[in-house]
Amino acid sequence: MTEELPCCEDYLRTSRRGFLRGSLALGGAAALTVAHGSTLVQTAYAATPAERVLVVLSMRGAADGLSLVVPHADPVYYQARPSINVPSDRLLAKDGMFGLHPSLAPLLPLWTGGKIAAIHATGLPVANRSHFAAMEEVEDADPGSPERVGWLNRLVGRDGPGSPIEAIQMGGGVPNAAMVGPQPVLVTPGVDGVSLAGASDAASEAARRAALLTTWSEARGELATGVDTALDVVADFAPVRASSTTPANGAVYPNNDLGKALHGCARTIRADVGAEIITVDHGSWDHHTWIGGPDSGNLKNMADAFAGAVGAFFADLGPLADKVTLVTISEFGRRVVENANQGLDHGHGNVMFAMGAGVRGGYYGTWPGLANTSDADLRVTTDYRSVLNEVVTRRLNASTAQVFPGLAPQDLGFITSL
Amino acid sequence: MSQRLAPAQTVEAATALDASRELFSRRGLSRTAAAGIAAVGTAPLFVGDPAEAAWSPGHAKVCRHKHRCEKHPAHTCRHKHRCKHRHHKKRVTTQTPAPTPAPIPAPTPVPTPVPATEPPPTTTGPLTDPDFVASALPSAWSLHLGNRFSYGVTPGLHQAMREAGSPEAWFERQLDPASVPDAATDAMQGWWVSIDADHTTIVQRDRDRIEGGWSAMANYARWCLLRRISSDRQVLEVMTEFWENHLHVPVHDDGVFTYRAAYGKLLGSHALGRFDQMLVAAITHPAMGISLDNASSTKRAPNENLGRELLELHTVGRGNFTEDDVKSSARILTGYRVDTWRTWNAAYDPTSHWTGPVQVMGFTHANASPDGRGVAEAYLTYLAHHPQTAARIARKLAVRFVSDQPSEQLVADLAQAYLTSGTAIDPVLRVLVAHPEFRSAAGLKVRTPTDDVAATYRALGAQVLRPTVSSSAANAILYQADAIGQSPFSWTRPDGQPQDNRSWSSATRVLASFHFHYQAAGRWWPRQDVVYRAPIDWVPTPGMRFDALVNHLCTQLLGKPAPARLVQAACQATQTTADAAITPTHAIVGWKMPMLLTTLLDSPDHLHR
Repeated sequence: MTEELPCCEDYLRTSRRGFLRGSLALGGAAALTVAHGSTLVQTAYAATPAERVLVVLSMRGAADGLSLVVPHADPVYYQARPSINVPSDRLLAKDGMFGLHPSLAPLLPLWTGGKIAAIHATGLPVANRSHFAAMEEVEDADPGSPERVGWLNRLVGRDGPGSPIEAIQMGGGVPNAAMVGPQPVLVTPGVDGVSLAGASDAASEAARRAALLTTWSEARGELATGVDTALDVVADFAPVRASSTTPANGAVYPNNDLGKALHGCARTIRADVGAEIITVDHGSWDHHTWIGGPDSGNLKNMADAFAGAVGAFFADLGPLADKVTLVTISEFGRRVVENANQGLDHGHGNVMFAMGAGVRGGYYGTWPGLANTSDADLRVTTDYRSVLNEVVTRRLNASTAQVFPGLAPQDLGFITSL
Repeated sequence: MSQRLAPAQTVEAATALDASRELFSRRGLSRTAAAGIAAVGTAPLFVGDPAEAAWSPGHAKVCRHKHRCEKHPAHTCRHKHRCKHRHHKKRVTTQTPAPTPAPIPAPTPVPTPVPATEPPPTTTGPLTDPDFVASALPSAWSLHLGNRFSYGVTPGLHQAMREAGSPEAWFERQLDPASVPDAATDAMQGWWVSIDADHTTIVQRDRDRIEGGWSAMANYARWCLLRRISSDRQVLEVMTEFWENHLHVPVHDDGVFTYRAAYGKLLGSHALGRFDQMLVAAITHPAMGISLDNASSTKRAPNENLGRELLELHTVGRGNFTEDDVKSSARILTGYRVDTWRTWNAAYDPTSHWTGPVQVMGFTHANASPDGRGVAEAYLTYLAHHPQTAARIARKLAVRFVSDQPSEQLVADLAQAYLTSGTAIDPVLRVLVAHPEFRSAAGLKVRTPTDDVAATYRALGAQVLRPTVSSSAANAILYQADAIGQSPFSWTRPDGQPQDNRSWSSATRVLASFHFHYQAAGRWWPRQDVVYRAPIDWVPTPGMRFDALVNHLCTQLLGKPAPARLVQAACQATQTTADAAITPTHAIVGWKMPMLLTTLLDSPDHLHR
């Protein structure tokens, strides 16, 4: 289907071999549980503790994958970006083809531990350069279907209705398109948002709960059901709110939105209340101007924030990381050639990261080669759904037909088999 | 008010009906009577326009009658029957004392309103209800009507209904928004430059980083929210939102910011006019063209996006057209170009228009001229008058204003009114409001997040002032709406946000609404450029019993006395006994007031409408 450069075959082979060790180490991870499950309040839709957790980190605004995972051996990269490239000698974790942006240094321990896979030249099969239309298409992930159901909603709904806290969007108030659908999900600005407003302690919470039950005692209909569920969710989520606000293992989150969101994720996972899917947003990566180089610029600033927060997240999780797999996704990539403002306009292919449990680290993907024309994209050689599909089928035991209808998935091999 | 007919009624029976419905239909009837002899030149967009009555959709397709306005001789166009000149629009009806030669005396409403200080004819006679005028509180009926056709019943709204003479008279007056002074929204003029700026200015401000495109759209959403809160033309605001959701152009679609505010205002000018005219205005508008790609469609490669959504979403709906129809639909619409990402100028480009015979369902046209605007307008007019369009709009109105499961009879009645009136909107609303199914639907609809934000500000009497800093209430209010899950017109898909209860009843939404209510009741955020009522201002008689205070607050916030459960809930939430004397130093007047207010705002009475 696409031409393959020899160097890519090399790196694929080496990577697979190199990470057999990682897969063996993961044998007993699924058995790990934490002892908070007993505090769950049983409700009609009570969540059961999640044995495995998927965290989806959306890099909003179309991150430049060519800066994050630099194809230093493709000569066009340096020709096309005279003022905004990352010099080869500054790259981390270099192999014959790729290297990581130096701002990803906080992730280096994970990388060398074989816990990060970078899958390059991924994206929508057909380019869509509108942020919103592309996000919608990416997160719907069911081309041709008139129903508005996101892939994460299909995923969490795969075994019937459950508690809303099985799928949580940590941040914002508007569910992203991946979460939208018939299965109830929880969208909260943060851990403290999953609470009854005005309930500051046990006594005030009890008073508030009693008052709300009285208020809604005669009400019927959808919203009355929503109130009932909300009261259950607040009770179910109590262990998370009660958990320590100090990160474990000496982890230090950067003081940014992503750091706060991932800290909330770690608290949620540690409290073991049944959250199986957590999404967080990070953006904006929409860098039409001043992408910059390794030491300054818009991309460096964002990459610092990203790597610092993700690194702290896995450090905070400690042994719990053995049940958590994180994937990143961005609605599209950026052009190959820099524009007049030392930025990059909307392109197509991008890099996706998978980190943590079950991951066989290394560089993956089929490198299409870059072209040095003004409107050149990084061509997409791997449907982004194949990446997600590998995670959800191998880690969460979902079926492709359930989550990505119509997809004939490509086997990439960056996740160990169940 | 009076007994209803059995649901299975004939059309004839349905028009006979009860007194109140007759009150609504009487105006329409007299207009129709006047229509035969009214002069063409006066307010041709008004309901029951004589010319409209005379021509059929078929006529519209071929009409090439030149039209010259006597009052504005510079204005000449060939749309004698569909003139969109601003002086003929309903909202800006001129001061001409409407030379309607109709010999029918008093109750005939003249299209041009008399000065608002004089009692309009509609407030006299049967539209005045002395019992209602004397009542300090809304009636169950006026509360229902007000909750559905405003963003929340307030003491001020009740007062307006009383001054009108009855809820029905208020509604009639609201259908003629030009007759309702609106100082509050007038005062918002100039709060955000981009709202009234032309696209060139908006683009320049974006390029100069004075007000980026994203900010311009955020500001437009704020402007919409604040209008809903403060406008005295509540029915106009409600209907503008309805149509802006129906003919949805997502504010954050790429490039849309250049024309989106103008588009919204244009829909507002048609919101109580005629759908056929609104449809032509909307579909040929640059904002719609940019959003659904018609702005870059060419005759070589007609882009089908708008042509398809026009059929599927805006008019006849899925299942009523074929892929060949979509192709013709897209071809007809070619030519309405926008110079995107450069000047953003919009112009009709005959060289982009696909020529040749077209057929979409029952519409056929030779389409031989490179200037396809006449074909497009005839086509859109055809679609607007299509019975399937009538049914879809009728159902949508019923779901927004009546219930999630409207009866087929209600939908049929609304669709019939729509077709009979030649797509005029007011007559449909009159039928809806007078319908027994509407009357029995009180409290069945869940307030959407934006409904909740508007209703809460209205209930609390919080006055939003001109923004001076980024944290001003006029700016922050958008984040309050977002936090509950929705801000105006930010729904990313072209189908517009859902209006059913289920979509807005998640646990997430409930918790977020509760947080918003508590935040607003506590006056904690926003604090800048907003005037809240002080806790003591909520207590009419210091020393009064707590249960009496709860009852009073219910009348102020919810428009009705407190049900027993709310008194009990207020006692539980604030740990206060019903007989406690609420002196000025009581904790209720201090730190407990936010919890008391939020208890009422968190109730089904406030979260439904």
